[in-house]
Amino acid sequence: MVDALQAMSSVIFDPELIGLILITTIMGVIIGVLPGLGATTGAALLLPFTLTMEPVHAIAVLATIYVSATFAGSITAILINTPGTAAAAATTFDGYPLAQRGEAGRALGIAVVSSTIGGIFSVIVLCIAAPLLARVAYEFRPPEYFALALFGLSMLASISAGGTIRNLIGGVFGVWLATIGAEKTTGVERFMFGTYELYEGLSFVPVFIGLFAMSELLVQSRRLNQVIDTITMKAVKLPTKEDYMRIWKTVLRSCGIGTFIGVLPAEGATVASMIGYSEARRWSKNKDEFGKGAIEGIAGAESANNAATGGAMVPTMVLGIPGSGTTAVILVGLLVHGLRPGPYLFTEQVDKVYQIFGAMLLANVMFMALGLYAAKLFARISLIPLPILWPIVFALAVIGAYALNSSLLDVWIAMIFGVIGFLARRHGFAVAPIAVGLILGEMVETNFQNSLKMFDGDWWIILTQPLAAMFLFFAFLGLFGSSIFKWISKRRKQSL
Amino acid sequence: MRYMVVPGIIATFSVAIIIVALQLDESPAMIVGDSMQPRVFPILLMVINLGLAFFLFLQYRRENPKPLAWEGLQTSGSVALFALFYPLTVYIDMMIAIAIIMFAMCYLWGERRLYVAGAIALATPTAIFFLFDLVLRVRFPRGIFTNWYYG
Repeated sequence: MVDALQAMSSVIFDPELIGLILITTIMGVIIGVLPGLGATTGAALLLPFTLTMEPVHAIAVLATIYVSATFAGSITAILINTPGTAAAAATTFDGYPLAQRGEAGRALGIAVVSSTIGGIFSVIVLCIAAPLLARVAYEFRPPEYFALALFGLSMLASISAGGTIRNLIGGVFGVWLATIGAEKTTGVERFMFGTYELYEGLSFVPVFIGLFAMSELLVQSRRLNQVIDTITMKAVKLPTKEDYMRIWKTVLRSCGIGTFIGVLPAEGATVASMIGYSEARRWSKNKDEFGKGAIEGIAGAESANNAATGGAMVPTMVLGIPGSGTTAVILVGLLVHGLRPGPYLFTEQVDKVYQIFGAMLLANVMFMALGLYAAKLFARISLIPLPILWPIVFALAVIGAYALNSSLLDVWIAMIFGVIGFLARRHGFAVAPIAVGLILGEMVETNFQNSLKMFDGDWWIILTQPLAAMFLFFAFLGLFGSSIFKWISKRRKQSL
Repeated sequence: MRYMVVPGIIATFSVAIIIVALQLDESPAMIVGDSMQPRVFPILLMVINLGLAFFLFLQYRRENPKPLAWEGLQTSGSVALFALFYPLTVYIDMMIAIAIIMFAMCYLWGERRLYVAGAIALATPTAIFFLFDLVLRVRFPRGIFTNWYYG
């Protein structure tokens, strides 16, 4: 524990890292306020820039983008009724009405403080829960990892935007993408169609840049003529004592909700903020105020979405299962920098792990300062015209896709996946399941194969392993739980 | 009929992958052991996808979604620019291609001040090129500009 605290506090004695976190926090806030450019796209675009950095610095940069962009979405949600990120959508419900009443500064103050508390709370939980989970994960063998990966896919299908069937199709497509290239144990080439650059499989980075950045570019091209109403404000105000008295229970509740939902392998922050908001409304004495500028609504949504960031890092680092789209990019960052996620990360490179946690903690403090003193400036950045912003994103995406392997094939892959992602989104499919499926694909196949070898080809023995059976049961619940629940409640109503 | 389009595309894709997978090489039993042949896993995935495509078809029929409008000039034009990027990169130069596509995209998306579009199209690739070349040591593919720069 002392070692962990020492490693975490070493962050403040590393001027280079502090400088990087400060710059990245500013960039994260800018990315967060620009509609369409969320944490996932931002992290995917910045990943190639981290290639020459030390592993801890690189992951700290990506994690900082994650926490600061997640917070910054609230700035535009409150001032222009346009959430900068999907996770800030619930903030518009009460943030914008409060701003319309001339209390934009107060709304932003509540959002900043709630986000910071949520973020710090989740990092503390991360520091405590991750090593404990890692200790349990030491016992995992191939059947458990196989079942866990299936659980991850099933949760993604049932929670993220897009609907269960569409998400499952996306997830399965992503897992199939992971089979492209030479099969690991036999060396048999699969779906390469003569392209030997694909021998090692599809590189994650260009696929992610395509799915998140290029597809978003095409989505944004359909929104060019939108008129945006902006609200001016004088300054961001810290919440008053009365405000704190009104929101503290909501903030604590949302911290718990956000962290828990973040730990589940799914689109954490967006779902967390929605549940945080609805729970704030459910428990509030002033339900009528919701939708008209209730500060509990802002606090509930904002503390939950930032609490989900730390939560989502738990399965990412301990099990190698991304908790959200952005943590999928961070996971790729870990792999690119030679930090293989999993329980052994907590024994072999424990210092680096806690330095990353320390950086996340620092990022939360920094975005609080930026939010309080520069929100007005950042809100103006959101008004950069789309015809100028998105061609710049195009250039960053193309070069980002190229830079990792110095391969033009990766650029074409990014563009193809940009169009695939756009068409998928146009038809109501989310792209995150494809990304997570791609990451989990190898884990599913390899561990299934190893399980078969362990049990002499009898796959059903996996079901007799207690932990694996438990994860498979959770996967079953994730897939069919809501349908079963609906069926039971329908039967009950009929019998009454 | 329109309910069939998306599930139909998914089903056709899945069948195509199954056909390709069936033609993959078999690995000797000694290597595979008690595990499965490399073709089995993708086939299993595509069978699952076929089932899901059927459920998606049922869902579309139940929900009766409105037909999607055609894409506007900006979206279809942007896709066309993606396609144009390939020959420009291969036959001219990647950096020049980025600048041309950025300029065209700015204009297509409604930026009518040509000097603004031109300045962005020149400044962004130049800044990114020098950042990647000098700081990150990334070598870009050969073309008119890079041949001159690298010598």
